[in-house]
Amino acid sequence: MTEPDYTQSAEDHQCLLVVVKPLGSISKSNFSCVFNKISSVEQATLQDSHRATWIRYKQYYPPENNDWGDFQAHRRVVGLIAVAEARGTQELALIFESFDGLRGEYGTCLYNWRMFVFGLTGEVVEQNRTDVDFVGDYERLDGLTRTVEEFTSSLFIVLESKRLDRASEKAGDKMPLLCVPFEKKDFVGLDTDSRNYRKRCQGRMRKHVGDLNLQAGLLHEALVNYHIAVETLRSINDFLWLAAALEGLCVASVVSHYGTTCMTTKARHQGASTQAEREQRSRTGTQEVLIDPGSLTTNGIGGDPSLEIGRAKNCLSPDDIVEKYREAISFYAKYRQAAVIELEACIKAVRVLALQKKRSEAADFLQNAIYIHVDVTEDERIQRYSVLSELYERIGFRRKAAFFKRISAMQCVRAALPEPGWKACYELLLDTLQGYNISLDNPQSSTESHHGWPAVQLRILHELVYSAQRMGNPALSVHHLTFLLHSMLDFLSEQEKKEVSQTLERYAASCRGHSTTLEIRESLKVQPIALSKLPIVRSMKLINLPPNLRPVKLKSGDGLSTPISSSSPFIYSPIVVQQRREQRANQIDFQWVQGDVCEVQLMVYNPMPFELRVENMGLLTSGVEFESLPAALSLPAESGLYPVTLVGVPKIPGPITIAGYHTEVFGIPSRCMLQNLPHCKVMCSTVEVVPALPLTQLTTSLPRCSGLIAPSTLGDVCCNAVVRLFNGETQEVSVQLENIGKQPVESVELEVTYNHQQGDSGTCGMTWDTQELQKLIPMQPGSLVDLTLSIHANFDFSNTDGSLADTQDEMSTAPGTPFSSPARRVTRPHKEYHTPGGTPPEQNGRLGPSPLKIQEAVLLVHYTGGPGATAGYSRRLSLSILIEVEPSVVFTNLTAVPATSSQRCHLVIDVQNQMEHEVQLQSIHNDDLLLRPHENKRMAAQLHRLNGSTDGTGSPRGLQRAEAEAVCRQLGLRWLILSNGRKGEASVARVVSPAVLEQLRLAPLQWDVEVGGLTCIGEELVSTGVGKPLAVTIRLTNGTAVPAGPFCLELRPFLDFHNGLQDCALKSVAVFLGSNSSHLPQIQPAGVATFHCSCLFLFPGDFLLDIQFQDGTGQFPASWLCLPTVHVHVSEQPA
Amino acid sequence: MFNVATGGRRRRAFCTMAVCVAVITKENYPLYISNVPAANELKFHYTVHTSLDVVEEKLSAVGKTTSDLRELYLGLLYPTEDYKVYPLMCETHPPSTPPPPPIPIFVGDGMVFRSCPRAHAFESRYGYVANTKVKFVIVIDSSNTSFRDNEIRSMFRKLHTAYTDVMCNPFYTPGDPIQSKTFDDVISSMMQVC
Repeated sequence: MTEPDYTQSAEDHQCLLVVVKPLGSISKSNFSCVFNKISSVEQATLQDSHRATWIRYKQYYPPENNDWGDFQAHRRVVGLIAVAEARGTQELALIFESFDGLRGEYGTCLYNWRMFVFGLTGEVVEQNRTDVDFVGDYERLDGLTRTVEEFTSSLFIVLESKRLDRASEKAGDKMPLLCVPFEKKDFVGLDTDSRNYRKRCQGRMRKHVGDLNLQAGLLHEALVNYHIAVETLRSINDFLWLAAALEGLCVASVVSHYGTTCMTTKARHQGASTQAEREQRSRTGTQEVLIDPGSLTTNGIGGDPSLEIGRAKNCLSPDDIVEKYREAISFYAKYRQAAVIELEACIKAVRVLALQKKRSEAADFLQNAIYIHVDVTEDERIQRYSVLSELYERIGFRRKAAFFKRISAMQCVRAALPEPGWKACYELLLDTLQGYNISLDNPQSSTESHHGWPAVQLRILHELVYSAQRMGNPALSVHHLTFLLHSMLDFLSEQEKKEVSQTLERYAASCRGHSTTLEIRESLKVQPIALSKLPIVRSMKLINLPPNLRPVKLKSGDGLSTPISSSSPFIYSPIVVQQRREQRANQIDFQWVQGDVCEVQLMVYNPMPFELRVENMGLLTSGVEFESLPAALSLPAESGLYPVTLVGVPKIPGPITIAGYHTEVFGIPSRCMLQNLPHCKVMCSTVEVVPALPLTQLTTSLPRCSGLIAPSTLGDVCCNAVVRLFNGETQEVSVQLENIGKQPVESVELEVTYNHQQGDSGTCGMTWDTQELQKLIPMQPGSLVDLTLSIHANFDFSNTDGSLADTQDEMSTAPGTPFSSPARRVTRPHKEYHTPGGTPPEQNGRLGPSPLKIQEAVLLVHYTGGPGATAGYSRRLSLSILIEVEPSVVFTNLTAVPATSSQRCHLVIDVQNQMEHEVQLQSIHNDDLLLRPHENKRMAAQLHRLNGSTDGTGSPRGLQRAEAEAVCRQLGLRWLILSNGRKGEASVARVVSPAVLEQLRLAPLQWDVEVGGLTCIGEELVSTGVGKPLAVTIRLTNGTAVPAGPFCLELRPFLDFHNGLQDCALKSVAVFLGSNSSHLPQIQPAGVATFHCSCLFLFPGDFLLDIQFQDGTGQFPASWLCLPTVHVHVSEQPA
Repeated sequence: MFNVATGGRRRRAFCTMAVCVAVITKENYPLYISNVPAANELKFHYTVHTSLDVVEEKLSAVGKTTSDLRELYLGLLYPTEDYKVYPLMCETHPPSTPPPPPIPIFVGDGMVFRSCPRAHAFESRYGYVANTKVKFVIVIDSSNTSFRDNEIRSMFRKLHTAYTDVMCNPFYTPGDPIQSKTFDDVISSMMQVC
């Protein structure tokens, strides 16, 4: 007994063993066909009995195992079927001979034998042998089945007779001692008459009868016999046979509990089946359910209920089965020669326990089976581990199963073997993968969180790669190695990473161009692995086109400014906000243009400790046609995040989605899809491609800017220039627009925006001739257009912004206002130096030279054409111009002085030349003024008063500005640099303070002074004679919106000596007819108050008539109450 | 045959030696594994890995009966471990093709069979499962010594405490391999003498 049968199960105990052998020149396939037909007959029945026996067919059975037939009846070969093919009678004779030899081999214990001979059909064969059947050909196998059925029935009959023989033997009869082969010599010369010996004989015989009963389908009898055998043998310590009896007891109980699990499925194929069989089958259909012995009642095999109860009594409970098996195996273990029996018993027990779902006990039995030492051949060793693995699998110990499967695989390629079976090794290794949590066809599962035990997974993958390589399937080994590198990357040491990648590179070089699905076996197809970790892509971002290439949606009816439709009635709702956010995340707010190179930026990371060469890296897209332009890159070892730009050209307008990228690393092409890269941040991957647009280029005659400007201030700027001007100067700049694209430019629009970061202090203007521009389009590809831009600098001409405003405010009220109240003068004592005729303020000196003023302007060129224009897109070119403005002349001080006429006014301007050049200042009504560098000069200009009214519409500020502009126009100041001829304007608009403007305005309180019938505005000379009354009429019209007054009015003549002295004591020189003073009552708006009196001069001379006026309320500025002084010439002669 | 599982309780006051300590996550991958003869690391990987089968089996069996009051200590998983998993270089075969790189293949062979009985059985694996399903496996070198269950229990308790300390570290990300000097110290103290 040397060769264990690993396929045995407990149910095999009730089977009759039939060996089926091929003889002669029968082909393998034919034989297996016939064998299948034969083995479909699983049960044998007797005509008059409800019982059935099971048949087990084997193609190979070592004859020495037959010797154990007494020990366990199912080990004995009781039937022999030979299948032969003969082509002639001569061959037939040889076949007969070998058949007889075969019969002799299996000894005398054969119940029956039969031979089927194929091939001899037409010939008349002499039928001198009953044990030979001549079957015509392989098509007619139905007759064969019937013959086999007859044959098995005959076996059953012999069995039945044997059983009855044994059963009829009385206890007193002399019984033969049954023994196993190795015992035979032990019993030589033993006292056969001793009680012990007799008991031994009895016990063993009981056990044998039990076996026969079991085979004959008499479960109850079998159980009883086994029980007796156990009792008998236990008393005499016949451990080997006691173990066998115990095992028999277990087997009978198992059969009783679970039926014949493995055979019922096959029994379906059987044609004829008795009622009893049907019953049995229906009972065993519930095989998986653990059947309580007590519940087995009426539906049992026997019709006799008492038999049923008896069986239930003798039958072991499921727990007892385990215990008895355990005991039996421990007894077997006492005999080294019974190792195979023990091993088989263990395996059978494990199968039973697996059925009972007692996994840990099953593991114990399996563990024991591992220890049992059996001398086996190499093939059997492999089989042994495979079976162990399968059994572990069955009890759910998949790690153990994988372990043994792997050992079995390793056995296939042991160094001792002359011809290692790499193919078998590979197949077995593949089976282990499940146990190690590796799924070859789904590599993505390992990217999230790692499953399984890295160290052992790594090992098994290495082995798989190696065996695939040795098997001669490099494509598979490349796949597995790629899988290893991809899924185990985190667990490889640096050295291993290096080695694996070098190996992979070499393997891949040997098998180029596999990127298709590999079919390892029918159930296992593997996709090519995408090496998405080499390099790791952390983020992917679609890049907008550069500003000059970006398409801009032309303004149309539906504004893009309202992306959210009125789907929700709520102004704000968190849900809407959330949706909007999602929407925003999913859509890209820019477009790509057909035919232009578009970019996608990837942040990649090389996890390898060496330089990684990535070749043929390009984009994978879906949507419209896209031409990807692959790139090759080399990433340094352990690089940080490394930006990589992949480019491509969309060929057709429409939506395009970046689905992933493809790479080639170590010669392995991979296609990495974004959806499989959970660690890759992708904002959004779909972008709209708009139809082709023209492309132009802008150049200027100006020098380029060195990049001082922050580009973000006015959006994207693609071109810049710098220009330097004196304040007030105008310069013309030439701009060239060239069509460098493939589409004609059909429309061009210019627009300029300014960067008002310096507040209100001034701007620069840019103007161009639109008419001229329109004449130049359309521009064909390659054509060039010249434009002229004129840039005008118009900054503040005041000295500085802050300090001057304050002083101006003070200045404007003080100087030249003779009617200011003395009280105000007292509060501003520092105003003294501003008195008319004083020197220019010294404060200019300490301010130093004014810095450059900088203005940034952006010229936007919108142009479109071609198919893009019809789709409503245009392109924008922007030219950023940095205008540096140097100060030219500044107005340090501006004072309004009332002229003699109340309609006019003098403007006194202190002007400073801040240039390094001699400059000529021109104005309309005055002479030119020559200013040397940094020279201060004062100039005066007479102006008409402004007749703006305060009740005008518009903001007061706007009004002031308009008035200031009007002042500038009246002045018409221009400067001219004499040395180089550069010229420009000088505007006082921003220098004029509100207070000055106030003085320049015509007062709303209208005074009409009439002296001697002459309306006096100022400067008039009234002539009269001595002693002649001079009528003075003063009429006050209230032009304001509020009631004015009351006022005090006084006429006072005086003499001016023109030396600063005035003589007011003229009471004896001039007399008044009527009162020389008056109190004017309050005047309603638009009301008029009139004052009459007459003055009589007693002496000739030049007198001045001062009309003094006091405002009781102080509600009006002093300048409004400024009345002219009347110059009266009194002659000797009455006129 | 089954006496090792239940027997072997000869009271001797010898020290227990752990030869391998492993911490395994709920998802059954190792957080920490340390063994004393550092050379044969792979063997212990296999040892601990296969013993997870028993741990899972025991856990599922427990889960059916009691609800929450589970004994953390699982007791003996396997009485002995019995495989000598030694490396066998495949280069021993004269390769017909150009020689592939030396990838060591480990072949399980030379099992300790019954003919060389229990004296050779020198390792026992014990299991312990925390409430978070984190598993601890200790392989005990039990040659010539016997040990009490209590000793094993206290070892596990010590291990559990050390593991808890590791988890309390705010800089430790759960699920990462344990790299802690303190933990290493605790383990090495268990590996030497108890």
